[in-house]
This record gives sequence, C-alpha cells and structure tokens, in this order.
Amino acid sequence: MIYGGDRDRSTICAVSTPSGFGGISVIRLSGINSENIIRKVFSQFPKIPESHKIYLGHLKDPLTTESIDQCLFSYFAEGKSYTGETTVEISCHGSPTICDRILKALISVGAQAARPGEFTYRAFMNNNLDLIQAEGVLNLIESRSQKSAQLAFRQLMGGLSEKIEKIESEMTWCLAHIEASIDFSTEGLETTTQEELINKLSTCENDIQKILKTYQTGRLIKDGLQVALVGKPNVGKSSLLNLLLGYDRSIVSQQAGTTRDVVSEELIHKGQRIVFLDTAGIRLKTADDIELIGMKKTKEVFQNADLCLIVFDLNQPLDWSMDFLDPDLIIGKNILLIANKSDLVTPEIFEKFMKFIQTQNLLPDAQVIFSTTFDSHSKESILNQICKTLLDDEAAENEVLLANARHFENLKVSSANISSAIAALKAGDGAELVSLDLKEALISLQDMLGKRFDDQIMDRVFKEFCIGK
Amino acid sequence: MNSFDIIVVGAGHAGIEAAMASANLGQNTLLITSNIKRIGYMSCNPSIGGLAKGHMVRELDILGGQMGHVADQTCIQFKRLNSSKGPAVRGTRVQNDKKKYSETMTQILSNQQNLKVVEGEVKSLILEKRECRGVVTHDGAQIFSKAVIITAGTFLNGVMHIGLEQSAGGRVGDKASIGLSDQLKDNGFTVRRLKTGTPPRLLNSSIDWSKTTPQFGDDHFFPFSLKSSEHFQLPQIACHLTRTTTETHEIIRNNLDKSPMYCGIIEGTGPRYCPSIEDKISRFVDRESHQTFLEPEGLDSDLIYLQGISTSLPEEIQYQFLRTIPGLENVKMVRPGYAVEYDFIEPTQIWHSLETRTIQNLFLAGQINGTSGYEEAAVQGLVAGINAAHKLLNKDKFILGRDQAYIGVLIDDLVTKGTREPYRMFTSRAEHRLVLREDNTLDRLALVSRGLGLASSQHLEKMEDIHQRRSAQKAFLKSTKIFPNQEVQAKLQSLGMVAMTKSLTLEEFLRRTDVNPSVIQSFGFDLDIDPLVSDAVEIDVKYAGYVKRQLELIGQAKKFEELLLPQDMDYNLIKGLSTEEIDKLSRVRPRTLGQAQRISGVNPSAIQAIMISLKSSQASKEKSHVRHADTHNQSAPLAPRDLV
Repeated sequence: MIYGGDRDRSTICAVSTPSGFGGISVIRLSGINSENIIRKVFSQFPKIPESHKIYLGHLKDPLTTESIDQCLFSYFAEGKSYTGETTVEISCHGSPTICDRILKALISVGAQAARPGEFTYRAFMNNNLDLIQAEGVLNLIESRSQKSAQLAFRQLMGGLSEKIEKIESEMTWCLAHIEASIDFSTEGLETTTQEELINKLSTCENDIQKILKTYQTGRLIKDGLQVALVGKPNVGKSSLLNLLLGYDRSIVSQQAGTTRDVVSEELIHKGQRIVFLDTAGIRLKTADDIELIGMKKTKEVFQNADLCLIVFDLNQPLDWSMDFLDPDLIIGKNILLIANKSDLVTPEIFEKFMKFIQTQNLLPDAQVIFSTTFDSHSKESILNQICKTLLDDEAAENEVLLANARHFENLKVSSANISSAIAALKAGDGAELVSLDLKEALISLQDMLGKRFDDQIMDRVFKEFCIGK
Repeated sequence: MNSFDIIVVGAGHAGIEAAMASANLGQNTLLITSNIKRIGYMSCNPSIGGLAKGHMVRELDILGGQMGHVADQTCIQFKRLNSSKGPAVRGTRVQNDKKKYSETMTQILSNQQNLKVVEGEVKSLILEKRECRGVVTHDGAQIFSKAVIITAGTFLNGVMHIGLEQSAGGRVGDKASIGLSDQLKDNGFTVRRLKTGTPPRLLNSSIDWSKTTPQFGDDHFFPFSLKSSEHFQLPQIACHLTRTTTETHEIIRNNLDKSPMYCGIIEGTGPRYCPSIEDKISRFVDRESHQTFLEPEGLDSDLIYLQGISTSLPEEIQYQFLRTIPGLENVKMVRPGYAVEYDFIEPTQIWHSLETRTIQNLFLAGQINGTSGYEEAAVQGLVAGINAAHKLLNKDKFILGRDQAYIGVLIDDLVTKGTREPYRMFTSRAEHRLVLREDNTLDRLALVSRGLGLASSQHLEKMEDIHQRRSAQKAFLKSTKIFPNQEVQAKLQSLGMVAMTKSLTLEEFLRRTDVNPSVIQSFGFDLDIDPLVSDAVEIDVKYAGYVKRQLELIGQAKKFEELLLPQDMDYNLIKGLSTEEIDKLSRVRPRTLGQAQRISGVNPSAIQAIMISLKSSQASKEKSHVRHADTHNQSAPLAPRDLV
C-alpha cells in the first residue's frame, strides 16, 4: 500500500471528479513529466507555461491525432500545486467515455494510472500537508453534510495541527528544561522553576482536555447522528419517519409489523446529517431462545445509536408501557420521547401521559415532544431537539474540533502522561522520571502529527482514499 | 629498534589509555609525547568526573582503564552530584592533585610491559596504499608500526589567544603540532576548527578567603574504581565559592572588542556547554552575577583554578575584572586565561572502532575527534587501543552498544552525527539513561571486561563476586514472602509505616518508597546490606517499572534500529530528501535506519521517505519474482508452437 521509490518519480493521472455523467470532469496529471506528456496530447501547450493559468485547446489521441474533446488545461508549476509537483488539471466534458479515452491517451504517452490516495500521499511526502491535514482531505471528500465538510476543511487548513504543534512546542520546552536541570545542575544557571514547569504543563494538559471534550461532537458532525426509532407496533413510527424525511418512504399500513427489517434513512438538518434506524420489524425483547439470533442484530443497532426516539401513541393509553423493549438496550443512551398523534387527545390524557413517564425507571429525565404526523412544526422541534441533545454547541464553536478516533487516542495517552509528570513533579520524584513521562506524552503528539514514522498509521490514512484524490 | 606493533601519538588522557590497552593486549607499543614531563596532564580543570562523565570513568575502570583508579588515589575532594535527583543521573566528581595525578600516571606507564615512552614530535604519518605504516618524527626519523593511534588533543595546528595576541601552541608551555593535520587534509579528510578556553590561574596567597564561602566535599567516599581503597588517600580540602558582580560584567562588556572570540579572530566553534565568561555575559544579559569556584590545583600547589571564568580577554582586562570579584580585590595571576584554537577531524570519517574509514590501521581518539573533556578522551583512547590491538590480533571489533554504556553512546554519536562544537557527554544523550547508572556499571560490563582481558584477575574476581551477590539477592527477594501477620503489622506501626493488606514478595515490598534493604533486614530476613550489593539491587527493583516503559519507548525506535540500509543505497533517487539530507546520508552511509535518524539535520520526513523507498523496493523485488514466475508459466504453452 505504501508507495515510494521509483514509483514516486513517475507521473500519475486519474479522474478526480466522481464517475458518471456530469457537466464537466476533471482529470489530474501530476509528476515530473507532466508538461511533456501534455504536449504530446495538446500540441499548442506553451513551451513555458504560466502557473495557475488555464489554456484552451483540443486534446488529441496521440496515435490517431483525432481530437477526443475540447478541454481546459490548468497548469500548476512545481512547488505551487496540491501535490507539490508539476500538475496539469484537464477539464473535459463529463462523460465516462471521454474520461476513459483521455486517460488512455495520457497513459499511452508515459503517464501511469494513479493509485488510491496517491495525489494526497505525494502532497504529504512533499511536505505540503501533514498527516492531520491529509486526513482532513479524506474527510472533506467523504463528508456528507455541510457541517462535516466545514469540519474537514478546518482540519485541512491546519487548525488542529497548529494547536497540537503549539502544545508540542510547549512540552518540548519543558522537557528541555528538565533535561537541563539534570545535566547543568552544577553550573548555577537555573533557567526555570518547578512552579513554572508545573504551570506550563498544566496549561498543556488543560488545552488537551479541551480538545478531547470536543470529540463527541466532532465525531457526530463527521459521521452523522445515529438515531434509533423504537415503539410498539402501530404507534406511527413509519408515519413519523415520513414526516421527518419529507416523503413517503414505505407503505404505511394499519397492520402492525409492516416494516420487516432495520431500515436506515438519512436527512440533512441545518447542515447536520442525521441517520434514522427504523427498528419496526426487529425484536426489541427476547421472547424465547429461538429469537436470540435476531436479538443479536438488534443489539448491534442500539450499540451504534447515539440516541433513541421512543414513540408512543397518545390515543392508546392502555398500550403505554415499556414492556416491548429490553431495558439493557437503552441503558445509558440518550432518550427522546415522542408523544404521537397529540392532535387527537384531550388535556387529561396529556397529564396522564406525563404521570405514566414518572413511573418509568428508564425515563427519568427524558425530554418529551408532542407531535402530529402531518405537522411541519413537529418535524422542526423533533430534529432541533435531537441536535440539541447530542451536539455540544460550545464544542462545535471551538476553534478546533476533534473528529478522528486516532487523534482521540493519541491525545488521551498524551494527557495521561502529562498528568503523571505533573504528579511526579509535585511529589518531588526524580527529574529523570518526569522526563520519561514527558517523552511518552510528546511521542503521542508527534504520532498524531505524523512526525514520527509509523507505516501502519500512514497505511491506515492513505488506504481510505479513492483514486484521483 | 625502529619498529613497533602500535604507535600512540600523544600522552594525554586518551593516549595513556590507548597505549596501556595496546601494551596490555601484548602489542609492542611506542608512546610518543612532545613533553615527557606532562604525561596525563590536566590542562584545564583539576578534576575528574561529573554528570555523565563520572559514569564513563566507572565504565572505563570496569573495562580495565587507568583513569578511575588514579583519580581515586589523587582525590582531594569527593562529591556526588545530583544526589537529590534520581540514582540514574547522579554523578561522581573528584578534585585532584594535578601534580600527583600526572606523576602517578607516569609511574603506571613506566611499569607497563611492552610499552616504551619517548619524547618527540610526530611530523607526519608513513602511508602506503591507504594504510598507515608508522610515523616520521621532527628529526626525520622513520618509526615503523602496524598501526598508529593519534591522540593529539588540541595540538594540531594549535593557536593560543590572549586578547588580540596569538602564539602557536596547544597549551601554555607546549608547542603546537604542525604538519599532521595538513597531511590528513591532503589525504581527503575533512578537517575543521574548534575552540576551547581555560580560566586564569590565581596565586593562592593573594586571595582574601574570608570573602568567599567554603564548599566541602562529601564525607562518604565511593571511589570510581573497585581497585581503590574506600578511604581517602590524601587529605581533603575545601573549594571556595564567590560570584561575579555587575561591575565585573560591565568591564567585560566594555572590552568585548578585545576578545578574539568577539572580534572575529577566532573562527573555530567553542563549546556551548562550557561557555567563556564573555559568552555567559552576552547570552544571559539579565543575570547580574555568575558563580565561580576557586579550586586548588593540588595540596601543595600555589595555583587556584577559577572554575567557570574561562576567558581570552587581554591580561590587563582580566586583572581589571577579576579584582571586582569578592575575595579577589588584590589577586595576582600566575597565568592568564586563554583560548586555544585547534584542528579536529570530522568524526563521521571514522568507524565505531575509531579506525579511519579511508586509511587502514590509523585510529583517532580524543579531542582530535571533536570531543571535550578528559573523560570523553580517555574512553576513546581505551576503545582505540583495544581495536588497534584486536585488528592486529585478528579479533572481533570492540563496539559497545548504546544500551550498554555511555561509551557506546559517545562513539555512536560521534561517528554518526559528527559534531560542530566540542562534544561533551550528557545524561540526556543516553536514551537508555535509566539503565546506564553508576551503581550498576559492573553488572553491565563485568562480562565484557572478562572477554577483553584488560582488567587484572583480582579486579575481575571482585566485580564478579559483587555481581553474583547482587543476582543472589534479587533471586532471594523474588522468592521470599512477607506475610501481614500480627507481628509484622505491629512492627510496621511502630516504624510509622503503612500496614500491609496482603502478603507480598520481598521484591514487591521493596518497591514501597518507605522500604529499603535495612528495613527488610530489621524484619528478620537475612539480607546482605553491604551498599555495594544492596544499593544497586534496591534501585533496580524500584526503577523496574520505569525501565520497562523506557524499554517500550526504545523498542519502538528499535524497529528502525534493526532495519538495515543497503550500503549502495543511492539517496539521490529518494524523493522527498533535501540536498543537505542527501549529502549527509551519502557521506555517513548509515548502517541502519536508526542510525540515519540520529544524523543531525536529517528530518523525520526524510526517515519516512527512506523507509517508504525501502519498502517499495522490497515490494517491487518480490513482485518481479512473481512476475518472473508468471512469464515462465506463460511461456510453457508456447513451446510446442515454436517447434512448429
């Protein structure tokens, strides 16, 4: 999976826009030979092209000299492109056939087909991106909502890297001074105090803690909110889902158990992706041993859910109970209660419903939303409440937002080591032991930034790319 | 007789160890010194050891070197530095009677078999087909040998500076060595310039001691060498502390233009870690005062060494500023401070054995390799002496690992990183710091020493005895349990210690911060509490958790360490390397990726690039094998058609 060596000296090409028909497609060509290769398919390409300039002309098949398409050629000089290499981006008409012919033409005159992630890999190798930024590119490409795209873009712009590098540099300062206190203790040149070290390290730890706290929100913005929709049969789950999605996604039937499997549907609400897992057809409680296999699947659904929407039909007070649901499934989960069909009931029933909730052990502080299945107001309030429950606005506004499990692990390790260093300093333990803690903390940060070489991390980062990125 | 096995040029701290090791290993050895009265002379401070340096002296002693034992015998003040810090970073330093040190060393050399010491100057080397075959002395005489070790210290093209005045010489009273470094240059060696300095020597009787603070040494003596007596051999003296004043600083600041360092006369790089007083005042502008220690150069010496105030200002300026220091109002200088500029050979041009890479049987040790300090020099002398002898005896190279000894760290740093300033050893240079301690030196190196055969059999037996007693104690602690019965709990309570909650092995019990071997003994266990045995055991037990973590850290690095780099690797072909990196890597030719990582100026991204290039070339090799097999298979069905 790792490239390098001779491979890095080749000139690579790939279609960088999604496959399929569209207005235009972009083919990217990057490498030391880009200019020569382009001249063989586009003879009017200037001898000394200007960086960031677009040239118009016909791209011809080098064998038959037949024109394949009229294209725009954007030229980026070495050191001024995404990859850091000489790059030409060819904008052609958006047809898979045209793209395919252009690629074949390029390859016939010396280019090689790019492998997944290879453009970004080259950008990383040429120090145009650090590892965190490279991961940002990946996230940006894969982002499925405006918010997650913004988050990825922030990461690509280096906000997180900058912050981590700042902490890294503070820690390096502390480590250097601790080492100096060991090796220069006889020179009478004390350069810092224990107090200053503790203060600086505490600041580092606090900064890391702050970033760690944004992980939950960051992850949800990146991956979307997973919401499990549960309720007894026929309480109107499917209708509710139709309301939320704004279209009829399945036949709504009066007969219980129409929906047979977990159906996942998603929508974007105010730039945030929300995925609904409709559990209508699956078992929410083990009736007998035979059902255990079905139950396992159910558990998986709930494990992945960030929030459970439990739907009740206000018109059926006799059916109000939690019996249908295995309590283990929702323990510790965020819960939102939907009191459905609220347009059809009297105020007494509202009150009765609230009392019913009080008696349920699992629903002590759960929020309740009264809804009707054909009211856009209900839709807004449910979606808003889902976001409000799961996303920490303060974290979302934080200058950096952690969204990557790898970064989260690195920072957790680093933070633990720093607090151990602070404790050792306070306890008056040997400076060489404090130094060990700090070295471990630093290494985690450097791993995060990709400053230390670990091919497994690089592998993980780059293998997630699609070709052409 | 004009032919020897090995010739050692220079009788400083490196030369002595080199000559002794060579002679001890049965090689007919000649030691040539330009001044036979200054064998093992302490050109600068009258002390041996210090942080990380003390470690090396102990390592040297275990391996059969001379420095530790002689330093013990001539010790006039003993101190354990960093005693408030952890055991790994404690270091031994002794003040020495300079004259007695030199005399004792001279005596040792004269008693050594296979060794001849002569006075003379070496002008050039006899080189044949890039092999060193001997030396030519100032009178033109040729002396032949199978190997030569140069330990010329600061004497190669040495120039001394006092103010703006210069004179040739490697040390006051000694001539410079001219010719050798030019010959090396002509043979393709990169030769650079370094600078070092030494403080003024003051007349004892001219100092008003009442204005200084006496600094006494430790009462308890832990000699460097197992061969030494545990009692001081000489009366112990005090050093005295005083401080520079704002007036001192003003005088120095106003006269910086008369300092050769500051007006551009000296081009060589000085030691950042042992700065001159001019440097200190320019670098630490905010500081109103710097400490300085007045150290006697010997019991009956009139000379006082002014530690921390090395300078190359003109003599009259030195007088001016010295007299602003409390206690020195009427001071008389016996010798002003001065700076020395000298040639050194960029040490990336030598192997780990200290043999030069381009001229066979030529070894370099000490300051000529860019180091500073007696201890750094001495250990290199030993390694060069052993390796020169081993080469003639067809024995394996003697190379210590970075996890084995500070000596290993020193040499690996020098030959892989090179140096641009006088290299001084620090504990922070050793990534295995927690295991490279003074207390466990013999555990690390006794076995190696037996293999070398330099240490006397008596010395070896002593270290092996202690090592075995320590091993036995560790085994005993591991296998013996202490139970929280009434008696034990009551005793713990009476000692003001926390009660036990479950039975523990004595090893686990010893991990408690409030437990030491004497405490264990007081619970009725038969434990050897001779500090020579139990100190190291206790530290090993208490440090075990940290050592494990350190090893894990190093283990990650080891991945690189073990990845061998092809010696014919063309760094020009690896993408992502800067011109500087390509240049350095091509010059050093690191054996492993770990070594490449330690080359200064080679960035982590370069290591990634090399690693990737290695992986991909491996992958393409494997692929080409597969492809080859495929072609073979495909060609098989074609054969019948060929026949048609």
